[in-house]
Amino acid sequence: MISRLFIGVVLIYASFYKVIDPGSFARSIWFYHMVPGDLINLMALILPWLELLCGLALIFGVCYRGAVVWANVMTIIFIIALYSTIYRGLSVDCGCFKASGAAAYKAWKSLAFDLVMLIFTVQMFFSRSKKWWLAQ
Amino acid sequence: MAIRQAIILLILAIILGLGANLVSPNKIEYIGAYRNLSGSDGPIIPPDAEENDPPFIDINVAHLEHSTQRTIFIDAREKEEFECGTIPGSINIPFEYMPEGDLQLYLDSCLGHVAYDRPIVVYCSGEECDLSLHLARNLAEYGYTRVTIFFGGSREWERFGLGLERRRDCDG
Repeated sequence: MISRLFIGVVLIYASFYKVIDPGSFARSIWFYHMVPGDLINLMALILPWLELLCGLALIFGVCYRGAVVWANVMTIIFIIALYSTIYRGLSVDCGCFKASGAAAYKAWKSLAFDLVMLIFTVQMFFSRSKKWWLAQ
Repeated sequence: MAIRQAIILLILAIILGLGANLVSPNKIEYIGAYRNLSGSDGPIIPPDAEENDPPFIDINVAHLEHSTQRTIFIDAREKEEFECGTIPGSINIPFEYMPEGDLQLYLDSCLGHVAYDRPIVVYCSGEECDLSLHLARNLAEYGYTRVTIFFGGSREWERFGLGLERRRDCDG
């Protein structure tokens, strides 16, 4: 339950500013130089809503298994993206929570946070508990 | 079941994401005008470039170099233009006002006596300006080994939505 709440709240919080301001988030994605240019805006429009839906699904236990899959997939992708920026020596706006456009976020700090998130998402993936599910 | 639910969530996110953008005050184009790092547009090269000139780089490489924060960006325009809008963090070495005499000492002191193999990007305002080309040639001649020219300049930088640093208000 703690994992569900923690990851759920983090995903909802992370989605908030990106849902409101997809343009800034699109620029954050561009800074990573990992996504084809034509797909950047589509990703910036869809990914925050996926985060929001997964956060709500985890907290309320609706489409729970699907949300756990996405939480794992997204966390792993975020870790790969952040690690790649560190490896390439880039100093990019993480775009993790509020996409600021400033290229000065500490990637290591974000990476450490995502690794902690991964522990929780993996725990949820292997947990068979069905407590507090509103629907299967 | 997990995969089916994951697909449902993705479809919902696509519908909500694309739909909300229709009514959002911060709506964006569905297909953005971003260049890929491996984009085929390539660097802008002036017609008077010579074979031995330092390499020319495009907006993507310039941005990548800027992100590393190791590369020195040099604006070759005069001070007034530099202050009106320059790539953030750049230093100004106005080519037209290079002093007579010991250029080596002048360039070294402008660059803070950094190592000669430090990456350097030289630029000016854009395609109509060749100050960057001449300054880059000088830098290469005086021993700087990793000089590149961003011939798209500050205009190209701004055109791709990257902010300029303005040190004074130059409107009007």
